[in-house]
Amino acid sequence: MRLTVNGTEHELDVEPDMPLLWVLRDELGVTGVKYGCGIAQCGACTVHLDGMAMRACQVPAAAAEGAEVLTIEGLGGGDALHAVQRAWIDEQVAQCGYCQAGQILQAAWLLETSPAPSDEEIDRVMSGNLCRCGTYPRIRAAIHAAAAALREG
Amino acid sequence: MIRFLVLVLFTGSAAAQEVTVDPPEDGSVSRAEGLAAWERVHDVVSHPRCANCHVGADNIPMWSGPSYGETRPHGMFISGGESRIGAEFLPCSACHVTLDAGQSRTDGPHRPPQVALDWRLAPVDFQWFGRSSAEICAQMADPDRTGGRDWVALAEHLRDDAGHGGFVKWGFDPGGGRAPAPYGLQAHIDDVLTWGAAGTPCETGG
Repeated sequence: MRLTVNGTEHELDVEPDMPLLWVLRDELGVTGVKYGCGIAQCGACTVHLDGMAMRACQVPAAAAEGAEVLTIEGLGGGDALHAVQRAWIDEQVAQCGYCQAGQILQAAWLLETSPAPSDEEIDRVMSGNLCRCGTYPRIRAAIHAAAAALREG
Repeated sequence: MIRFLVLVLFTGSAAAQEVTVDPPEDGSVSRAEGLAAWERVHDVVSHPRCANCHVGADNIPMWSGPSYGETRPHGMFISGGESRIGAEFLPCSACHVTLDAGQSRTDGPHRPPQVALDWRLAPVDFQWFGRSSAEICAQMADPDRTGGRDWVALAEHLRDDAGHGGFVKWGFDPGGGRAPAPYGLQAHIDDVLTWGAAGTPCETGG
């Protein structure tokens, strides 16, 4: 299969039903994307697939043929931090950090589709991303901060 | 008699099943037979595999199954939004991955079901969850509330959805340890046609 990950094209020989999460982590060594539950219940494996935030554990490799994938490694373009990543640091969101790559990618997608989300919108979009450390208040604050930063350019 | 035939390829299986729409002559079925057929149609449309996504204007899909106890709102604070595909919030397809036709689905308990159409709630006019048999019957008998479909077109819709690897086929073969909708797709189509040929009778006099 062909797959572009963080701007780099790859040719891979994998089973068509291999989850994209496996392709990224085990075949390409892109380990920023995390395995949490394997059944789309936690959001830890969230990536952008052709611009859409998706649970990589649910995407068969065949469904990602020719797609462009963005993971936490590529979110800021590689060298710089994305506004959401900067806000995450400023708000000191992470505790253990395991879920945060998925949280950040989901939040970045939210702000692409809704530049000034309400609290309800944030909760609706982000509630599929679980955090055992309970960082939800800081996640919400960081999203508001990132939204403001992006609006100010 | 008009006869339609479609070959439905069941995803993940080499088995193929013919699904036909074979309408009886309009008026050739008694009201009693029609009402009996409606009861079976209602068993299907009120089943959780169907009704859980035929919800009302709150746009909240439902969950139910052996491990859930009472039917409950979809976890994760999910709303389908007025778009009914989650476009305003988290699109259904973020987890319910849309497959290509013929592509094997990922299956298992508690996994988000996958079909070859974008996962969505049914249009709000098609609310079945929480509605009585008489209310659903009146809705399905009214082409203004079925997207313009009469009883034959409803049966064709069932056949065509299955042919596209959509939600109807999934409801009868949901996988993941979920209870399927009863009777099977062909029997359901036949019951819709029997009810229709009887004049789409409803218990309240429709």
